[in-house]
Amino acid sequence: MRNHRTHHLVWLLYLAPALIMYSLFMAYPLLDSLRLSFFTGNNPATRVYVGFGNFEKLFTDPQISQRYWSAFFNTWVFFLIHLVVQNGLGILFAVMLTFDTMKARHVYQTIIFIPTTFAVLITGYLWKLMLNPVWSGDFFVSIGLPFLRHPWLGDTKTALIAVSLVSCWQWLGIPTMMFVAALRNISVELLEAALLEGAGNCKTFFLIKLPLIKPVVGIIAVLTFVNNFNAFDIVFAMTNVNGAPEYATDLIGTLFYRYGIAGQHPIGIPDAGLGSAIAVITLLLLLCVVIPTLKKTQKGGA
Amino acid sequence: MQASLKRANKHIVSHIVLVTWSLIVLFPLWTLVINSFKTRLTIYDNPFWIPKTWNFSNYQTVIRDGDFLTYFKNSFIVVSASLLLVTFFASLAAYALARYKNRFAQACYFFFIAGMMVPIKIASIKLLELIRALGLLNTIWALPPIYVAMGLPVGIFILTAFIKDLPEELYEAALIDGSSSWNIYRQIVLPLVRPALASTAIYNLIPFWNDLWFPLIFINEEKEKTLLLGVTRLFGQYQTDWSRVLAVLTLSAIPVLLLYLAMSSQFIKGVTSGSVKG
Amino acid sequence: MKRLNVVLVSLALLCLMLPITAQPARETSTKAVTLTMGSWRTDDVEQMNRLLSEYKKIAPDVTIRFQPTNPPDYNATLRLQLDSNTGPDLMYARSYGAGLELFNAGYFADCTDIPGLMDNFSASNLAPWQTADGRMFAVPFAAVSHGVYYNKDIFRKEGLGIPNTWEDFLALCTTLKSRGYTPLANGLADEWDILETFFFGLLPNYVGTADQRVRYESGELKLNDRNFVAAYQAMADVAQFCPRGFESVTYNDSQVLFNSQRAVMFVDGSWTAGVYKDASFEWGIFAIPAPKGKHTAICFHPDMAITMNTKTKHPEEAKAFLAWLCTEQGATTASKNLPSGYFPMIKFPIKLENLHANEFLALNAGKETDARFVWPKLMHLYAPMNQAVIRVMKGQISAQAAADSVQALR
Repeated sequence: MRNHRTHHLVWLLYLAPALIMYSLFMAYPLLDSLRLSFFTGNNPATRVYVGFGNFEKLFTDPQISQRYWSAFFNTWVFFLIHLVVQNGLGILFAVMLTFDTMKARHVYQTIIFIPTTFAVLITGYLWKLMLNPVWSGDFFVSIGLPFLRHPWLGDTKTALIAVSLVSCWQWLGIPTMMFVAALRNISVELLEAALLEGAGNCKTFFLIKLPLIKPVVGIIAVLTFVNNFNAFDIVFAMTNVNGAPEYATDLIGTLFYRYGIAGQHPIGIPDAGLGSAIAVITLLLLLCVVIPTLKKTQKGGA
Repeated sequence: MQASLKRANKHIVSHIVLVTWSLIVLFPLWTLVINSFKTRLTIYDNPFWIPKTWNFSNYQTVIRDGDFLTYFKNSFIVVSASLLLVTFFASLAAYALARYKNRFAQACYFFFIAGMMVPIKIASIKLLELIRALGLLNTIWALPPIYVAMGLPVGIFILTAFIKDLPEELYEAALIDGSSSWNIYRQIVLPLVRPALASTAIYNLIPFWNDLWFPLIFINEEKEKTLLLGVTRLFGQYQTDWSRVLAVLTLSAIPVLLLYLAMSSQFIKGVTSGSVKG
Repeated sequence: MKRLNVVLVSLALLCLMLPITAQPARETSTKAVTLTMGSWRTDDVEQMNRLLSEYKKIAPDVTIRFQPTNPPDYNATLRLQLDSNTGPDLMYARSYGAGLELFNAGYFADCTDIPGLMDNFSASNLAPWQTADGRMFAVPFAAVSHGVYYNKDIFRKEGLGIPNTWEDFLALCTTLKSRGYTPLANGLADEWDILETFFFGLLPNYVGTADQRVRYESGELKLNDRNFVAAYQAMADVAQFCPRGFESVTYNDSQVLFNSQRAVMFVDGSWTAGVYKDASFEWGIFAIPAPKGKHTAICFHPDMAITMNTKTKHPEEAKAFLAWLCTEQGATTASKNLPSGYFPMIKFPIKLENLHANEFLALNAGKETDARFVWPKLMHLYAPMNQAVIRVMKGQISAQAAADSVQALR
């Protein structure tokens, strides 16, 4: 028998590598970003404490706050489109794929998941090319769909939607598969009982399936939210880091890159303090949304 | 009867929907591949149809161009190292958390799980300073620490649940034999959690391989670039040969795609296990 | 014993993570020296390598490696490298403020004493890389010009000639459009091109050159005066001649449109001249004409200079290279190997081999030239001006409103 103390020590050793990596490269930087947001400047040697100065600048400086709120708004639109299209279609496809007499479901599943294995950059550039009227315009006219010939990514009214839809196209595989797994978990007896009572597909879905997969719906909504509020690659690939046209596709992710990491073209001088302030606000927002959502949708806590 | 007819009908609708979606998925991929065999100007002629003359020079140039292989090698090293470390560290920690039941362990568990919801990108600025201080900036070794930290939450989530599910009897038998915890880990737990290790690896493979953000901000030296970052170099500010770019993109997509097609069911299990356990 | 195993293995793994900086260690061999050169010109790898190999013939012990970065990231990544002491020994310096900032931060070396620098360049060519107190932080390397590329074959076929005034230019475009052509290839998707090549290209025609520009910079003249409004209006007027769906047309698309003869003209910078060298049609360049009553001026923009890293491990060799660029022989060799569309800035008369390059340079004859308007002192207005031009071309705001929006941010 070992004595109590070495027992503890041994367990700690098992935890150590993970704890060290995680704390050093995730927890510490995150917490320190909080600290950084109270300073200015890029050079650790010349930093100056400014209290809430960066936050003030973020919300009161006319140019910066305008950019911030515009990016904030755009990101919400981006998210809502994902919620409806990506997750909505995900549930729809999952339900279809789990009908017990559904044939060829494995083929469909495999195909649906393919875009997810690609890098966002790849799909972004690909769709950018396809949506370019100079490239595909004549084709659309020739197959009798002239209204498809439009500068989708150049028109401020359609650019954000186009980018969001491409992002949905990319990621749809994940919610679909998660919902498939969740639906499969529903006991067969329950479904048979419903069938015996004469419930059609719609009723079964809304009264039985949906409530039972609520936890998964919650988790996916949360994961979608978190991913969308950090989305960068898709805009980088499809339009540009400024969120062209006219900042219509500017998201919090690209704003953060511009202010905190790379600076505005062509000058290229970032402001680490301001960038950290943006990061902190984003983090707070995430916490404010994620925690209640999880509480509400998970059975008896996480 | 009524019910079964109804069900057969619905399936037709389902099939129509799913086939339509499948086309929407496959059409762009078709476009990607056929255009990589065209030339810079001819891709504008008939964008969605097969090339009039098949041009293989894009692929030849890309493969012969030493840099592409370097990028590939770098990505391979970074991802392999990261996956190895993530699965190993996560399994160690999960073992501890699943078997060591007290408040500290509980706290640790939630500490790790919280990371699933918080994107590490937010801390980029501080990470930049940290990596710089460690002297890893501009090398491929700047990436594995970040990726490991990124992948630990999910790994621990999956593995802890898995290990918790292992029957008590296994441990009792081992303890009677007087095995140390390390032996139990190595000989009993590890072989049994192989599926969960695979899930962790697969779940993290895609984000690691396809990450652009961290290579973008950490690496500028040509020889150290990962695959995706290297691809962006082909986008000169003034001149972009789209057919060449599409060839590179196709080549970049192939590794993960092939892996996926070969192991699609494991892939899907891996990705979904992040959410549906417990 | 087993516990010890755990500890050892964990430590070993942690050590794996430590800097395996078996990365490019600088060769510390006694004779051969390798320098690295950073740049944003990913398109020029071939030419620069040729130039650098020419230099190697003169200084056989020194090898210079050209390592460009994707342009949008150049500034950010350069900073990253400089901050972490992994910066290149030599690097391209952007003109005016962007470059000055890096000098003030201590990254660029003071170049004032490089032999030949102060003597062999004119004052206006030195200015973009000069501090307020006259010190130089880089050696001027190349300038670019802007103009209108045009398809000579189509012009001949339609019996059209080079326009001498802006009004003639618009009439020309109208004629082309009525005959079913797309007159201009310019688009808005990449944003920077419409501003830097087109708007700044025609701006000197309306607001004048350097002596006028300083009056705007000091605030004496307003950025929404009649001249500016006329310039924005000119942009609004050409929007209809750009390709259909031009809001989505990228810079790359524009080049392809011109190259495949689907557009007749393209207002662009001289740096693209090399792209069309194998074009299947005859093409030429003319200057963007000024409206009646004004003088045509050219936007001849000092673009690139080369400087050295203050922390380079080989200051002597780096300096030697820079000095070579200031000699007649060095500059001539450099010019021969400059990518087409880049012009030397040194005092000695240098004849370029490329026909089209000479054509571009010839545009300067008898005209005043100036750098791009915002570069010297008004860089913070780059983004607002860019958006203003885009919006006025999309017809969202009037030229007056566009000008006002920029003046408001002055």
